[in-house]
Amino acid sequence: METKIKSKAFEQFSEATKTLLNPVLQNWKNQGGKIVGYFCSTVPEELITAAGLTPIRMRATGSTSTERSDAFFSSINCSFARHCFNLALTGEFKFLDGVVCVNSCDHVRRIYDNWIRFVPDTQFVEVMSLPRKTEATQVAWYRDEINLLRGKLEKHFGVKITDKTLWKAIKLHNETRRLQKKLYELRKQDRPPITGAETLAVMVAGTAMPKEQYNNMLRELLDELKGAKGHSSHRARLMIVGGILDDPEYVQVIEDQGGLVVTDSLCFGTRIMWVQVDESLSDPAEALAKYYVADRPSCPRFYGEHDNRAKYIIDMCREFKCDGFIGERMMFCDIWAVEHYMLGQDLKAAGIPMLKLDREYNTSAIGQLRTRVQAFLETMGR
Amino acid sequence: MLVGGCDVGSATGKAVIMRNHEIVSYEIIPSTTKPEVTARTVMDMALKKASLSSISGLDYIVGTGYGRLKVPFANENISEITCHARGAQWLLPTVRTVVDIGGQDCKVMSLGENGKVLEFVMNDRCAAGTGRFFEAMARVLDCGLQGLSELALQGKNPATISSQCSVFAESEVITLVNEGVDLADIVAGLHASIASRLNSMVRKVGLVEDVVLTGGCAKNDGLAKALEDKLSVTVKKLSLDPQIAGAIGAALIAGERVSKQTMKSPA
Repeated sequence: METKIKSKAFEQFSEATKTLLNPVLQNWKNQGGKIVGYFCSTVPEELITAAGLTPIRMRATGSTSTERSDAFFSSINCSFARHCFNLALTGEFKFLDGVVCVNSCDHVRRIYDNWIRFVPDTQFVEVMSLPRKTEATQVAWYRDEINLLRGKLEKHFGVKITDKTLWKAIKLHNETRRLQKKLYELRKQDRPPITGAETLAVMVAGTAMPKEQYNNMLRELLDELKGAKGHSSHRARLMIVGGILDDPEYVQVIEDQGGLVVTDSLCFGTRIMWVQVDESLSDPAEALAKYYVADRPSCPRFYGEHDNRAKYIIDMCREFKCDGFIGERMMFCDIWAVEHYMLGQDLKAAGIPMLKLDREYNTSAIGQLRTRVQAFLETMGR
Repeated sequence: MLVGGCDVGSATGKAVIMRNHEIVSYEIIPSTTKPEVTARTVMDMALKKASLSSISGLDYIVGTGYGRLKVPFANENISEITCHARGAQWLLPTVRTVVDIGGQDCKVMSLGENGKVLEFVMNDRCAAGTGRFFEAMARVLDCGLQGLSELALQGKNPATISSQCSVFAESEVITLVNEGVDLADIVAGLHASIASRLNSMVRKVGLVEDVVLTGGCAKNDGLAKALEDKLSVTVKKLSLDPQIAGAIGAALIAGERVSKQTMKSPA
């Protein structure tokens, strides 16, 4: 699908998906700003922003090989972990002033284990302990984890993260979420003004640069899209659901077959912005814990939430008038493995066709992807 | 009304010409490294067989298979999943499950009563359960593809082949050969291991009779038998060459486009 977007902001977002250190981020660095990378969207970015640093989500963009990192992993580790750690070993993350890991999955845990041992030039490497259930006890646990990280950030970077600065950061990040949600609202139209691949670029860029600048650029894009002539040549409207997907090219292959992606449940998508951090609580650490553990649209990392996840996805499919659903999963991702099977059952009962796709971190085997998507659209009579 | 279907696969190119929903001619040739050349060559042969002087005599042509984007004379391309299902259903209207085994992949489609694909699964990430696998095994055992099929039917006590990987299955076969295990039992074991892989794919879409095999490997009776053993149902035989099911499906869709006037691009 051809792009219809002309704004400079989108060009910068698109650029940010193709490099690790994009021009906006480089500019921040040149002005003396510090950058902390974090793994998995369950790490509270707000805490890093409140420390006066720029949080960026870890990606392995541009990696073409895992030959240096393979020795550190086993044959059942995912290609994201391999590519990401390969870049760490070859010094591509030297621009980072710190890294925050989380036990979101075993693959990422092993990146942490290897990082502290074999990448000595990163001065600040921390790991958070994320609970697996979403009840009040676990929220309290994660609040303690957040306060622990808060203390470590304060100590290492010589800053003070007061409740006031933390609330300020929460409000800034909530504004990002509001703007992103506005963008998704436009996609509900019969002729969405932005494609799924373009939206993914916007979402990825949001995790790759200072939020204030990002929000301004996103406002510029929203202005352009308001009242813009949308896409109409698609054969079907699709929702995409899965784990770490940061490559717009992948979505582009799907859309080139005629399946316009109009919404998602992705951690570079609605899962990080559909709901906001509750600003009415008194303790900002508590508010963050409640958001990241209990309030956000759930990821299969959490136990006992499958029915809520299925409901979220089915409701979303209907809200965005989706004809079908694509479940993507990285090979060896155990978290999404069983989830997609169960979702398949739920969606079948709801009468929504589903295509399951296994993939590698880098978009490859395009011919095979194309055949599956084309056949899927044909089964829907499109 | 004259229409054509051209299925450019990884191992062979197939062309079918149909007049008013009846097959006029078909041809199968080995694929070349240039899908355009494979497509043109096989279609020219089919045209010649049908006593047609030029491709311009066809009202509409649908391309399918891995090379479907490279069929220069096709008016439209349709995935091989849809085409195989369509072709199989035309050959046997009662079919509900199609197991297609091609040169480099295998797929299972479940069909509705109208022949529409309800669900499909595909293995195109590894060679196990593909034509390439059988070719490699025929080479290792020096028996040819036909010999492989015959040996499979003779095996009394199929040897256990545990590896799902073609390369490692080959190593297992060599070990068994060196242990002096009966050749027929080894080959039967190989077929059983592939059939069990196909069985798990069938279970993913749900087993509903009638079941048919399509694709080049459908000509392997030993495989059909091994699959019947695993599925505990009869695998129905198609009345025509199962290798051209995809090209037939493509031609049928071409015919439908013409009769319903839903052509995508001018012929």
